[in-house]
Amino acid sequence: MTVEPERCLTCSDEAVEARVVAVEELEAVVSVDAGTTTRVALDLVPDAAPGDVLLCHAGIALERLAPA
Amino acid sequence: MKYVDEYRSAGIAHALSGEIAALVRLGETVRIMEICGGHTHTIYRHGLEDLLPAEVELVHGPGCPVCVIPMGRVDDAIAIAEQPGVTLATFGDMMRVPGGRGSLLEAKARGADVRMVYSPLDALALARNEPGRHVVFFAIGFETTAPATAVTLLRARTEAVANFAVFCNHVTIEPPLRAILETPGLLVDGFIGPGHVSTVIGTDAYRFIPDQYGRPIVVSAFEPVDLLQSVAMLLRQRREGRCEVENQYTRVVRREGNPRALAAIDETMELRESFEWRGLGSLKRSALRLRPAFAAWDAEALYELPGARIEDPKACRCGEVLTGQIKPWECGVFGTACTPERPLGTCMVSSEGACAAYYAYGRLRRPQEPVVA
Repeated sequence: MTVEPERCLTCSDEAVEARVVAVEELEAVVSVDAGTTTRVALDLVPDAAPGDVLLCHAGIALERLAPA
Repeated sequence: MKYVDEYRSAGIAHALSGEIAALVRLGETVRIMEICGGHTHTIYRHGLEDLLPAEVELVHGPGCPVCVIPMGRVDDAIAIAEQPGVTLATFGDMMRVPGGRGSLLEAKARGADVRMVYSPLDALALARNEPGRHVVFFAIGFETTAPATAVTLLRARTEAVANFAVFCNHVTIEPPLRAILETPGLLVDGFIGPGHVSTVIGTDAYRFIPDQYGRPIVVSAFEPVDLLQSVAMLLRQRREGRCEVENQYTRVVRREGNPRALAAIDETMELRESFEWRGLGSLKRSALRLRPAFAAWDAEALYELPGARIEDPKACRCGEVLTGQIKPWECGVFGTACTPERPLGTCMVSSEGACAAYYAYGRLRRPQEPVVA
């Protein structure tokens, strides 16, 4: 999952905010940037729904962002 | 604030810069440590030091998980990767960290099957897709990353994936903070807390910092405006004589963290008696290993590991950089013998390492000062 090439998103205390496009069982398709989608596991945020913004790290959603 | 543009707004940043300047007393020095490597990266990338008055000094902390892994553990990972039939999977940055016997990337060049993944779940997928290989995930990271490994282990157990294992090197944030707080002559006046670790562990986990050590901490998000706001919150606490845990990252972080993530970690992992940290030495109960119930997926139970303790190169001062005692450019090999292309020390490997961040964004702006070895 890469948003900005110079930014390490894979290794550490770094995560990205991504909007849920679709939910398929325990996985969500999320949009991380215009036109870029990826899949994240929903084990830790099982009630995520399309439209939610999730904080994602290392292939899983860690938390749902509070609605703005 | 709703959109990322607002978190990077020059107008808001300059307004906060003025607010910060008004919160310090002329001539005083306030030293603020950002614990997290992600914050270090933002500070350099966006030139935030230029928006702070001379009275505020930012000190870089130990929160880059790649940077704190000792060379001996890299050698252990190489030893696993060199076993016949093994595929070692890990995050990209980890492949470049030099151990005593070179890096995983060099081991790959010698023929070992080392692959980069973005998630431990990708490593589990590799195991499913290639049943003839034994796939070992070299797991590193603080509490941000440990839940992903935990979820992967739980799935491996549910699906009975027998050709998958984890070489667990997850670490926890509290012991290194205590080690820094107990450093004689500590010159840190307050802390900017790691936003994403806190998503998992919650802000209550930091109460020992004001309660036992008398230092304030503000848990912060990662955009430039977030960080400036966190600096202002710390200075306001100081001005008002308060010393508390505050949360700037309210859009994600809760007091109690994410209980599901904590439960997944607790089900799969337990604290080690001690763990060797680069720059900080051996810290008690500072890292996680797999619980005995997960021995079938534990690379440390399945493979003979060298387990050697390797001294850092003498010229490398990563330890002092990690504990905020020196700035990257004060290390004698910074930018000369040690560069992102050929790193000597771990702080130059990860983009979150203080040395790599400073090399990428700051080195050309600072007049070259003579270095005293």
